[in-house]
Amino acid sequence: MLFFSYFKDLVGREVTVELKNDLAIRGTLHSVDQYLNIKLENTRVVDQDKYPHMLSVRNCFIRGSVVRYVQLPPDGVDVELLHDATRREARGG
Amino acid sequence: MSWGGGPEEIFLSTSLASYLDRKLLILLRDGRKLMGLLRSFDQFANAVLEGACERVIVGDLYCDIPLGLYVIRGENVVLIGELDLEKEELPQHMTRVSAAEIKRAQKAERDATDLKGSMRKRMEFLDMD
Repeated sequence: MLFFSYFKDLVGREVTVELKNDLAIRGTLHSVDQYLNIKLENTRVVDQDKYPHMLSVRNCFIRGSVVRYVQLPPDGVDVELLHDATRREARGG
Repeated sequence: MSWGGGPEEIFLSTSLASYLDRKLLILLRDGRKLMGLLRSFDQFANAVLEGACERVIVGDLYCDIPLGLYVIRGENVVLIGELDLEKEELPQHMTRVSAAEIKRAQKAERDATDLKGSMRKRMEFLDMD
């Protein structure tokens, strides 16, 4: 559940989600669930010309299983905190 | 299954409930684009689309092929997008054509990629890249 909690902390931030089919979408993280499904708001596709059908999509739901990367804001990760949480989780709670 | 609380909470959660009865664009893993009204869904993103149609795009041409009522298995879903009805669905330079025409364009595109593939194969001994 570590990354679920981690992504929950990023809600409201601007992220870029790159999918396994190479489509990259930038938008405000609206919510995330236990499967790491992601909802984005005010989305725009990074390579708009290549994906004209995405022009009028403003909000979207992305299935967690098709995500390759989530690019975070530069200050999106508190390494210390994540480090501690990782050790805590590895110990089993 | 619980809806995770009252009607306000639906809009805060990752559930697809906020997309019910909306016109959506669903991208599938094989690259197909389906459009229609979301009537039902579950936790796997299985979805029921009413009045579904497939949007086929080849270059600057496009066509919506009507399909009817579709149940989509969740594992094939890549993305579910809510269409902004205020905005143009496609760039203005794109032209709507008939189903027969888009099929022809699709075949021409497929033949072109096949040809490119076979040429590449024949030139493999040159060790390009």
